[in-house]
Amino acid sequence: MNENLPYFAALKAFASRARDRVGDLWSWFWYLLGVLYFVLPLYATLDFSLHMQRDTISLLAYQKAFADPGFLKTFVYSNILAVITILVGLLLVVPTSYWIRLRLPEARRVVEYITTLAIVIPAIVMGFGLVAVYGAPIKIPFTSVQLTDSLLNSPVGTNFIIIMGYTVLALPLMYRSIDTGMRTIDVRTLTEAAQSLGASWTTIIVRIILPNLRASILSGALLTFAIVVGEVTISSIMNVPAFSPYLWLLGQHKAYEPAALSFASFLLIWASMGIIQIVTGGRAQAAGAH
Amino acid sequence: MAQTALPASRNSANPLNLKKWLGVSPFFLFAILFLIWPSARLMIDAFLDTQGRFTFANLAQLFQNPTIVSSYLLSIQISAVTALGGGIFGFFLAYSVTIGGLPKALRSMLVTFSAVASNFAGVPLAFAFVATLGRTGLITAILKNVFGVNIYTAGFNLYSFAGLSLTYMYFQFPLMVLIMAPALDALKREWREAAENLGATVFQYWWHIALPILMPSILGTMFLLFANSFGAYATAYALTGGSLPIITIQLRAQISGDVLHNPSLGYAMAVGMIIIMAVSTIGYIWLQSRSERWLK
Amino acid sequence: MAYLSLSNISKQFADAVVVQDFNLDIAKGEFVSFLGPSGCGKTTTLRMVAGFETPSTGNITLDGANITDKAPNQRNVGMIFQAYALFPNMTVSQNIGFGLRIRKEPESAVKERIAEMLSLIHLEKHADKYPYQLSGGQQQRVALARALANRPQVLLLDEPLSALDAKIRVSLRSEIRAIQKKLGITAIFVTHDQEEALSISDRIVVMYEGKVEQVGTPFEIYNFPKTAFVANFVGTLNTAEAEMVDPAKGVIKMDGVQFESANQVEGQKKGDKVAIAIRPERFSFASEQKKANIVDCKIENITFLGSVVRIQITIGNTKFNMDTFNNPFLELPKIGDKSQVTCSREAVLILDRQ
Repeated sequence: MNENLPYFAALKAFASRARDRVGDLWSWFWYLLGVLYFVLPLYATLDFSLHMQRDTISLLAYQKAFADPGFLKTFVYSNILAVITILVGLLLVVPTSYWIRLRLPEARRVVEYITTLAIVIPAIVMGFGLVAVYGAPIKIPFTSVQLTDSLLNSPVGTNFIIIMGYTVLALPLMYRSIDTGMRTIDVRTLTEAAQSLGASWTTIIVRIILPNLRASILSGALLTFAIVVGEVTISSIMNVPAFSPYLWLLGQHKAYEPAALSFASFLLIWASMGIIQIVTGGRAQAAGAH
Repeated sequence: MAQTALPASRNSANPLNLKKWLGVSPFFLFAILFLIWPSARLMIDAFLDTQGRFTFANLAQLFQNPTIVSSYLLSIQISAVTALGGGIFGFFLAYSVTIGGLPKALRSMLVTFSAVASNFAGVPLAFAFVATLGRTGLITAILKNVFGVNIYTAGFNLYSFAGLSLTYMYFQFPLMVLIMAPALDALKREWREAAENLGATVFQYWWHIALPILMPSILGTMFLLFANSFGAYATAYALTGGSLPIITIQLRAQISGDVLHNPSLGYAMAVGMIIIMAVSTIGYIWLQSRSERWLK
Repeated sequence: MAYLSLSNISKQFADAVVVQDFNLDIAKGEFVSFLGPSGCGKTTTLRMVAGFETPSTGNITLDGANITDKAPNQRNVGMIFQAYALFPNMTVSQNIGFGLRIRKEPESAVKERIAEMLSLIHLEKHADKYPYQLSGGQQQRVALARALANRPQVLLLDEPLSALDAKIRVSLRSEIRAIQKKLGITAIFVTHDQEEALSISDRIVVMYEGKVEQVGTPFEIYNFPKTAFVANFVGTLNTAEAEMVDPAKGVIKMDGVQFESANQVEGQKKGDKVAIAIRPERFSFASEQKKANIVDCKIENITFLGSVVRIQITIGNTKFNMDTFNNPFLELPKIGDKSQVTCSREAVLILDRQ
């Protein structure tokens, strides 16, 4: 037999790859450039945050940052709001998306226009819009009968409105996540199969649909979380004690702690996106700028 | 369900249809209450003067007031620059991990990091760039100490057009990567082989076939990038503190009532912004649908 | 010298040898099919001729010139892909004219050639349509025209009909064959469908696991398969284990039933186990005509297939399929009946042991 086979094979392969070689060089160049662009600012932040103590590397900046009562207060606040926003978002999107797929395909277009609208209206405009509408007392239209005072006058009202605002910001991503998930598992066929086997609506939703949507729900939730914790535009317009405005304020008079918190933010987001990658098998989503 | 004499039909006059729309009503109610009405309210208020009477004056200011006009122009310029730059850079990056043949693991890392980078926008991003290219930033220091180049004396300033653009690129090109990678995947290998088989060089294949096929996607995504940058506020605010008068910052200043007590002018600026964003987004959607038609 | 010659071709990917010892001479104007199951190496071999894969060993010669190391865009071969591969951003005319324009032929010549090709495939009215507006069959015809417009020396077709509906498949394969004959162009056709290969080829190369099993005309391949694989892959076949009784006379015994075969394989001795094969259509009822072999059988099942009636019989302990032409006036035996069938000595094939 051909003992020469491996040798000749290698030689021929080498020669034929000459053309592909150049292609590879070009690809590596751009990839490394990209890596550089991604990593340098993060490295610079890390480096800076570790040098709070003169001449040595220490976690002092981190210790101080986390120990600051302002940090805990705003971080917890943003987290709580994020969780509520996630729940509201899921409650809105999952049934609607399911309903559209099952009963009302005509509504699909309209819903997609609405999510597009949420992208078209920038956060800053929406923030002011919310203030304009809910900063005034709520009246029955065309009368002077007042139902309630301005919602923004109370902390509960303000929290309510800002959660709604966050939900709108997260809506496009949440919707796309859930909708893609529903399409992938073909909800319609699953539901019909379950119905033909005698399952009730509750059983179908709880034991079949939701478990299969785990990846999409998690993905949407983590994206919402990242958006809410990083949100500063509406939060500062409405003057709520959220994490990112706090971070900004910190940056006005401190140097090392903000860097530490920024790097910590990065790690948090990286963990979230990494989880999404694993759980969805690569269907990463991008948030817009804010 | 109550027994009805007539079976449910697709006739839109059938009352059963109304019941169907009930299912999506919470969503619509939410959208109206917290998205559509607030935006509409702003847009209506743009047409009111300080006494509450109808006027076009505010809208007119968009074209007459030099500060406002230059604000729009600045935002448009930054958005165009970062859309183009981020688009090109992002395209080549996406190319490198798809057709360029880099290992799958590298692609997965790139996709994750792109998702991270695009979510990292806002305050942390601004701080990160300050730590990198600020006056005492890492790269500034390296360039000065190792290469003897002082970028600040050479005229660079992080808190300027160039600096902001550079910062914006950080979330622009990842967005391009995330959208273009699947589009590049859709380029069938057979097209290249068929072209080669008919005598085309690699360059001719790209020029006559691949780029034309990808162009709607590339252009469309650049429109998206444009809109993305145009509406951004937090990053610029955290970076420049409001010193760079891009339209979003100008808008905030106007409505928060620092200067003149004419929030309606700010609302008018918002209307202008929405129109530009809408045009850009529609461009994106239209081009995406064109490219999908070809790639059927 | 042959027009297209593949000598000593092999291809190795990483640790898997995908094609081995491939030798073939193709005459000018010949239509050769590579036939085999998925993974047998037929597409890889075709792609080596096209230049998309480089052979690990061996040479490819076309019209006297060694093209083994030539880049794919330097060879003058035309390729048709399974997925049509029409350029979606170009109209039918632009697709067809692509190769000529790349070669910088004068525009008037290009237009003429495009018109010629359009009339060849009967799609003159669709000249300005885009691929997404055409059906699968139409797209494949355009692909054919596009490859032919370039006046290639060889036409390579990689399972061009697999993605099409059954009816279109049959009509398009005749059309391809007709065009090939009319233009006198040499062609290699890769397929896993033996009916396709049998119906349109001058010669067939049957491949299995990277090796050539047999090369021959459709008639030869079907009636005189050299190996068990070829016999099984092409057409339906009955196979059984038997024992050699008398190698000189070709007498074998299967389940105690004696057969005489006119086909002998060298090196058989008495007592050797052999594999025998008989095509279903070679059996007939002994009551109609008597041939050399007459054996008893039992009727197990009768299936009416239209023009053919398939009868399942048991000879000894082995089930055999017997095909006979439908004849409304023929009285068929009933299930469970005992009967006698006959076949000639040539019909009993003795196969190479694998």
